[in-house]
Amino acid sequence: MSRVRALVLTGYGLNCDHETADAFRRAGADADRVHINALIDGAVSIHDYQVMTFIGGFSWADDHGAGVIQAVRMGIHLGDALIQFIQNGGLVIGICNGFQTLVNLGLLPGLENDYRRRSVALIGNDCGNFRDDWVTLEVNPDSPCVFTRGLDRLELPVRHGEGKFYTDPETLNRLVENHQVVLRYALADGTPARGKFPENPNGSLEDIAGICDPTGRVFGLMPHPEAYNLPANHPQWSYRKEIARRENRPLSGLPELGIRLFQNAVDFLK
Amino acid sequence: MPHRLEIALKPDLRDPEGEAVRKKAFDYFGIRMDGVRVIQVLTFDADFSKAQLDRIRDAVFTNPVTQVSSYDPLPVDFDWAIWVGYRPGVRDNPGATAAEAVEDVLGKPFSEGQAVYTSKRYCLSGADLTRAGVERIAAELLANDIIQQWKIFEKKTWDPGTGIGWILPKVILDHAPAVTAIPIESADDLERISRERNLALNPADIPTIRAYFLDERVRARRAAVGLSDPTDVEIEYISQARSDHCNHNTFRGLFRYRDRSAGREEVVDNLFKTFIESPTLALMEKKPWVKSVLWDNAGVGQLNADYHYVITGETHNSPSNMEAYGGALTGIVGIYRDPMGTGKGSRLIMGSYGFCVGHRDYDGELKPRLHPRRLLDGVIEGVRDGGNKSGIPTPFGQVFFHPGYMGKCLVFVTALGIMPRRVQGAPAEKKTIAPGDLVLMCGGRVGKDGIHGVTASSESFSEHTPAGHVQIGDPYTQKKMHDFLLEARDEGLIQFITDNGGGGLSSSVGESARFSGGCEIQLEKVPLKYAGLDQWEIWVSESQERMTVAVRPGDLDRFMALSKKHAVESTVIGRYTDSGKLHITYDGKTCAFVDLDLLTAGFPQWEFDAEWIAPQDRGLFEPVLKEPEDLSALLTDMLARPNIASKEWIARQYDHEVQGTSILKPLAGRHRDVPSDAAVIRPDLESSTGLAFAQAMLPTYSQIDAHAMTECAIDEAVRRVLAVGGGLDHVGGVDNFCWPNIQFDSVANPDGKFKAAQLVRSCMALKKMCDAYGIPLLSGKDSMYVDGHLPGSYGETHKVSALPTLQFSTVSVIDVIDKCVTLDFKVHGDRLYVLGITRNELGGSEYYERFGYTGLFVPRVRPEETLPLYGALEKAISSGLAASVHGIYRGGLGVHLALSAMAGELGLEIDLARVPAEGVARDDTLLFSESAGRFIVTVDPEKRKAFEAFFSGLPCACIGKVTAEPTMRITGTDGRCRIAAGLDALKAAWKRPFGGLI
Repeated sequence: MSRVRALVLTGYGLNCDHETADAFRRAGADADRVHINALIDGAVSIHDYQVMTFIGGFSWADDHGAGVIQAVRMGIHLGDALIQFIQNGGLVIGICNGFQTLVNLGLLPGLENDYRRRSVALIGNDCGNFRDDWVTLEVNPDSPCVFTRGLDRLELPVRHGEGKFYTDPETLNRLVENHQVVLRYALADGTPARGKFPENPNGSLEDIAGICDPTGRVFGLMPHPEAYNLPANHPQWSYRKEIARRENRPLSGLPELGIRLFQNAVDFLK
Repeated sequence: MPHRLEIALKPDLRDPEGEAVRKKAFDYFGIRMDGVRVIQVLTFDADFSKAQLDRIRDAVFTNPVTQVSSYDPLPVDFDWAIWVGYRPGVRDNPGATAAEAVEDVLGKPFSEGQAVYTSKRYCLSGADLTRAGVERIAAELLANDIIQQWKIFEKKTWDPGTGIGWILPKVILDHAPAVTAIPIESADDLERISRERNLALNPADIPTIRAYFLDERVRARRAAVGLSDPTDVEIEYISQARSDHCNHNTFRGLFRYRDRSAGREEVVDNLFKTFIESPTLALMEKKPWVKSVLWDNAGVGQLNADYHYVITGETHNSPSNMEAYGGALTGIVGIYRDPMGTGKGSRLIMGSYGFCVGHRDYDGELKPRLHPRRLLDGVIEGVRDGGNKSGIPTPFGQVFFHPGYMGKCLVFVTALGIMPRRVQGAPAEKKTIAPGDLVLMCGGRVGKDGIHGVTASSESFSEHTPAGHVQIGDPYTQKKMHDFLLEARDEGLIQFITDNGGGGLSSSVGESARFSGGCEIQLEKVPLKYAGLDQWEIWVSESQERMTVAVRPGDLDRFMALSKKHAVESTVIGRYTDSGKLHITYDGKTCAFVDLDLLTAGFPQWEFDAEWIAPQDRGLFEPVLKEPEDLSALLTDMLARPNIASKEWIARQYDHEVQGTSILKPLAGRHRDVPSDAAVIRPDLESSTGLAFAQAMLPTYSQIDAHAMTECAIDEAVRRVLAVGGGLDHVGGVDNFCWPNIQFDSVANPDGKFKAAQLVRSCMALKKMCDAYGIPLLSGKDSMYVDGHLPGSYGETHKVSALPTLQFSTVSVIDVIDKCVTLDFKVHGDRLYVLGITRNELGGSEYYERFGYTGLFVPRVRPEETLPLYGALEKAISSGLAASVHGIYRGGLGVHLALSAMAGELGLEIDLARVPAEGVARDDTLLFSESAGRFIVTVDPEKRKAFEAFFSGLPCACIGKVTAEPTMRITGTDGRCRIAAGLDALKAAWKRPFGGLI
């Protein structure tokens, strides 16, 4: 069987391209870093790929709302192609700035199969500043999201200034009912953060950290799974390593690597 | 006709930006407000149709979920409103990205003169607000008059139709560019012109300049290209190149060093060559991992079989002192260009920061331009945006508070990159230029910004310092350029690359032209932000985000195609030659024609008198201090001192995980809140090689002896990388000196000779330590003149000089990251060891400072004692025998035991009588002495013997154990319990000063 091909978008201030491509490679895919303009001018075709990645960064410096101008540019030049890509069964993941871009494009939440309407937003953190910290995430087992299959909890770093998930109450209810809420910020024991800072680092409604479209093939999240690519990235690694050494057993007790999300995508497409 | 769009969050949404303003106004000034809402204002200076306006508003500038907007003033309620916008010519980054979006949406580029300007309207609500209070908020919180302008509106006079009115900060220079000849008839003329044009020419250089331009042969050659007297382009070029900032005249100076206490005199010819270059060259012979030092924009060391790392550091003090945010932002973004311009170019992998400022709660009489609190806020934010928006992790940094930095703050920025070992088969760290290669300028455009930045940083700050050199960095433009240049490098298109920093094209082209032996530049080809710049301004402007690249003519098309793909502007501005001349024309007419070797020959060396008086002869003494009874309370208070207390709020604002390389983070422990000894990253994602990085500075020791300050800072920086798993075989150093003016003047700088002696001693210590520890100096910079003249209460001014400060950075390669270890205690029952000897060395310590003392017995480094110990520790760590390792730094043993305990959420029981010590009888000395060369290590009891075997005959003792109960229990030398303190209380105290900040 041919290998899964992943497209990792770069350019215009995006900055997680190397590690995101690396994450896909660790998951067994071929990954190409492709400049936004190479897609626009046709040098590279999105349809040669099975998974499309909107990565983290500060596209257009995020000066006019995070991900806004990236969504404008992608929408103008590639809007139809993206929808075609999704309809053809492709997977789309948006991480941090990529999530912000997906909601501004309307690819998320994709209610009623409408992939152009902006109905949710990611806005300035309640704490008023950019924040880098590790968070605990509770995975919704009933979500159709293909990226989080088989997972119940994750710990990942967040690094953003605009990650507060916001929408109107009606849309929020529908997302919850449809199980499109994939990830929620949680306390260390896995129970919901209920807005508590810093476990919920940005004040997101319903502790929402990631959502998917109704098909589960378009997924956006604020935390960075690609930055947890080996156990040593985890803040408790050095502690766990010492404990394991005492007990003469392999390293354990750390949560699943973020790479697992990419692995799930690759497995789904195989 | 311009159009103005006002955008606000929907009224029912919380406004975090406004909320932060409300909170700061109360915290900083005691001004109470009920609420603040922020309106973003976009002013389109373009003739758009209604349909076009609606289109751009809906498509880009209004989020239907969260925002409201209007081309008329938004009816947001307020008691007072403050409008803040940029001054003309100040870089408006959001304006530039807005223009990009508008062009995309409308499908056509802006025409000449069309632009988007951004500004903000703050709507303040509060019955108690007064005009004076609102003015204070505007001037001291929201705007800095160097770069911004503001207007205040009161509710009762607000016209809801007119709103803020029309302010277009457009640069209009009604000026025809002209080259001016500079008369050199007499030295006086040239000196007068230097003053008038703010050139900061050294009077001693003037005879050399005159002699050159008066030389008959030179005049004959110049006549052939239509020149006679020097032009302003030429004089500016010489002035930039000869500035202390570019030429390091101080460090290359001649020092007559006289030790008055010892009655000894010596002449040091060139500090740089004697103390920095020679030891590094000698070490390079012994250490094959040193790949490139002392000539390029940054040093290069070997990371692993596939990659080299690149490192450099500098300061951006003067600009940050005037405009903290813009100065620090420009500083960090600027230092990132150095690795980009090293060898054939490297990819940025990490940055770090060091901030030295006055106390955050200063309420004395002196009136610095920016209050230390505001200054610190600004520099933190500047480095935040510079690092985060560049996609470069910032996993290490330090802050030091001292009143001496109120004269001028210090902002250290350090950058690391990696490059493949070979590019297209050739070593990546090497580069050169052949005659015929084209000169390209890539990245940003040139404006009036940053003119004379270099010469301004070579002077003390005064009311006459021009504000024009303050800039706003643009990480977005630079990130695009970074990605583009790396792609071009990998295709082998870059022959030579260097950045445009201090001195602009004048420096980058002038210095790179030496590689081919000449250049011809057509200045009219340089893309400008706006018309009307004089030729000399184009040549020396420091407009940011630009690189100068040498490209072979045959590679030009491909280079330009990649540039276009990455949306980066690149322009051929001339070609390199081997004529020996810097030849600049403008529209075909020569405006500079100078021999390139003029700058390397003939200028006189700077000279300094340096006079050292030993501390005891300066009247320093040990305080008469009876041992405190309540050591628990004392330790608690020590933890709450600003230079010890938690500064988590800064580290959390900095992305330290981007690139997926983070191994040891800035904050460690069970609750991820205690600072690590060093950062470790894994820059090559396909290998397990780690790169450890740390920095240290101990400026208060300079009050006693800058030699000790230097030794101890270097020792600390080394211990920091050793503590996490680094090895002595591979420690590279970066020295960043920040010194007050050392040129003696009986009136203006009466202690100049002493400060010069401190610098000489610091350099002596640097060499001693580098020789002893085997540290090649991969890079380094000096920033002199960290002095300021601050107004007091009666119209007088006070000269305030910073403490002589060396920030020392260390980098160490860890072959396998698995061996990395953190400072947190891991398991209760572990044995707790102290390594290294504690002495009565409280001089300059945090403990003495607590009581207002300086003292005399400053810590010293004894390499013959520390090196065997470090070697043993390295082996113990490599053998997996250390559960936790932490150096003992500022604050001493007591403070650092507390940090490791708090990190591990585990207590300890120790006996001070067992601490390896020499000549110490008192518990307070054991707890708070800052003797160098020490570590705290915890060890699994089962591995005790194996661990101790490494330290046979060395100062290493088990002083107690880690306990499950979260309490520090410390027994004194007399057997009494001296400290019994719960970790919760200690941690609360440690977090108290800054714990509320986000």
